[in-house]
Amino acid sequence: MNRREAVRSVAFLMGGALSATTIGVFLESCNSTSTKSTGSLFTEDQQKLITEVADIIIPTTSSPGAKAAGVGPFIAMMLKDCYPEEAQKVFVKGLEDLEQQARDGYKKTFIELTVPQRQELLGKLRDATVAATKVEKEKLEELEKQKTDPEKAKSQTENTGTISILPKDKPKMEPRFFSIIRDLTLLGYFTSEIGATQAYSFVEIPGRYDGCVDLKPGQKVWS
Amino acid sequence: MSNLNVKATAQNTYDAIVVGSGISGGWAAKELTEKGLKVLLLERGRNIEHIKDYTTAMKKPWEFEHRGKLTEAQKESHPVQKRDYPYTEFNESFWVNDHDCPYTEVKRFDWYRGFHVGGKSLMWGRQSYRFSDMNFEDNLKDGHGVDWPIRYKDIAPWYDYVEKFAGISGQAENWPTLPDGQFLPPMELNCVEKEVKKRIEAKWNKSRIMTIGRTANLTVEHGGRGKCQYRNLCSRGCPFGAYFSTQSSTLPAAVATGNLTLRPFSLVNSIIYDKETQKAKGVVVIDSETMETTEYFAKIVFVNGSTLGTTFILLNSTSDEFPDGLGNGSGQLGHNLMDHHFRCGANGRIEGFDDKYTYGKRANGIYIPRYRNVGNDKRDYLRGFGYQGGGSRGNWHADVAELAFGGDFKDQMTVPGAWTMGLGGFGESLPYYENKVFIDKSKKDKWGQPVLAIDCEFKDNERKMRVDMMNDAAEMLEAAGAKDVKTFDNGSAPGMAIHEMGTARMGHDPKTSVLNKWNQMHEVKNVFVTDGSCMGSAACQNPSLTYMALTARACDFAVSELKKGNL
Repeated sequence: MNRREAVRSVAFLMGGALSATTIGVFLESCNSTSTKSTGSLFTEDQQKLITEVADIIIPTTSSPGAKAAGVGPFIAMMLKDCYPEEAQKVFVKGLEDLEQQARDGYKKTFIELTVPQRQELLGKLRDATVAATKVEKEKLEELEKQKTDPEKAKSQTENTGTISILPKDKPKMEPRFFSIIRDLTLLGYFTSEIGATQAYSFVEIPGRYDGCVDLKPGQKVWS
Repeated sequence: MSNLNVKATAQNTYDAIVVGSGISGGWAAKELTEKGLKVLLLERGRNIEHIKDYTTAMKKPWEFEHRGKLTEAQKESHPVQKRDYPYTEFNESFWVNDHDCPYTEVKRFDWYRGFHVGGKSLMWGRQSYRFSDMNFEDNLKDGHGVDWPIRYKDIAPWYDYVEKFAGISGQAENWPTLPDGQFLPPMELNCVEKEVKKRIEAKWNKSRIMTIGRTANLTVEHGGRGKCQYRNLCSRGCPFGAYFSTQSSTLPAAVATGNLTLRPFSLVNSIIYDKETQKAKGVVVIDSETMETTEYFAKIVFVNGSTLGTTFILLNSTSDEFPDGLGNGSGQLGHNLMDHHFRCGANGRIEGFDDKYTYGKRANGIYIPRYRNVGNDKRDYLRGFGYQGGGSRGNWHADVAELAFGGDFKDQMTVPGAWTMGLGGFGESLPYYENKVFIDKSKKDKWGQPVLAIDCEFKDNERKMRVDMMNDAAEMLEAAGAKDVKTFDNGSAPGMAIHEMGTARMGHDPKTSVLNKWNQMHEVKNVFVTDGSCMGSAACQNPSLTYMALTARACDFAVSELKKGNL
């Protein structure tokens, strides 16, 4: 119940890099029940594919990458536990489409592609996702504008005759494969032991607060 | 047979019963036991032992399976708790399963609850501000609600008293509408906050001030408790005892007297009224594990079950004399429900501090006390708001492409990014009679009790105030030199601020209020209510410190009355 958190935007809270799509999935109410099956949602090949895609999103640089941090299995588990069925289906379909694109473009499976080829393929997927999200957002904004039209808004208010200040339901965004896998890669990586202690800087018990220290060369973000 | 009854009654009889073990119930238990009374402290939920039962407090980020996120199963079992940020994997076990304790929302009301020893004192925001005479006089001046039966001078010594024990860190400001207290050393403002403070205070010639948050976190060792370690993980329970909670503070003091009996899993269903003596003689308790019903008896009863929990018990305590709820001759019980409205303000980017960073995680922010409708300032709404917020530097970089990925992106994410500063308003809501709760017999909770129906909404005064809350924040950030200033109004539902209060208000007149100036029921003299339900107005400050002070004050009065033979 840290009240400061309330004044930050949701994106700040979640590390600044998560997309609207995933935030929607995490925060929105969802009435569909999760898959109750005990097994994994994914085939063994798909599990490997997730791991490899995550490692392109967060590769090894001066610190180890997503594969070393175990992000692949984390993503598979999160999809199963924390996402509604609709998003799970979209995600599985996304994996299948990615394989198909690898075969169409390079006559190989994704795993057989070189790193630059994988980057190229994911770059295209990223661009397509950005474009589709933009179109969807514009549509939602248009709908929102119509809703908040003062003429129409008046009829929606409750018995006081004033415009409600209740939080508006966040518009439900289409779940998108690339947004989900990127968000979960970032979340999984930067909260993993490797990510939190090597890519970021982790101090378990700071013991004091200093509100103004000189930024040292090579200083990482506190995890 | 009658012998057995007499014996059972004797075994179940105490000097005082305290219902609820949260912030105010813990204080009541401490004060009454220290004054020599044998006290039964009843808690509807499980016990949580200090330190030992803070099971996630020392976990590292990677030790949380879902890294703090909720599973679909948790969202399903917690449809209310999940509506906002407090309920996460990090302290999941501190929040109620909503299916066990349903309520009826005539209008949307987010009811956050934790059933366990310590109540919300374990998860609270810890911001601790005094009310001023402006707050105690507003009702009388503008005619909303009824006049508070106390003024600042009545409560000031009790603020002193509870602050000295609880340990409140803060900076004295000599600001008339936000009185100073007995402060431990303040936490430090960071370099961006210092600059913003300087510029705001210069621009408005100190008619607006910014100070470090006054918080119930210890900045030095205090009363045998450790000082804050700056982990910012308070809501999991503090293994250093560095913030005020029942467990860290009031419960050990009460236990040390040898006068306390703590009984978890004891859900108080109703208070038993004795028409002969015109007093309460005890309470009916449902064992929340076994469903067994037991009666306990005492000379005085303190009801501290949280604002709406307490109000439910009182409404559910009906008798021939009080068919509409105990001590409800005024008809005000359950009415005048208030909460703060918030989630509205602005944030921006602060340049010029790229070579500076922070060390440690301060579980506290800044505070700008109310300046609207103060002195000669007159707005198109009544009362006002304060701001909470702060400056921080994370991994946000303006030049990251949308949905970026790869090695360069990763490396950029690990470098400290832009400084940002945010201000979020907390606004006062007026006490409206029609904002109310009542008992709904069409549903039952897990323990077979009827449920509460909540019919509450923010109105025009709150809506108008939010315009200022948003624009003033942007104006102050701009004056402070912030770039890319963005305003936000994310909307606010009653209950979200978890500052619900007012449903058994204090007042001078038994015809229009439930409690007198001592938090004593006008009509049932040995029943005291000192949680948020007693509040006559909400002000815009975080209210828990006021509940503490009112509780200690009421305990002092109750025991002196008891000694005089008046109860």
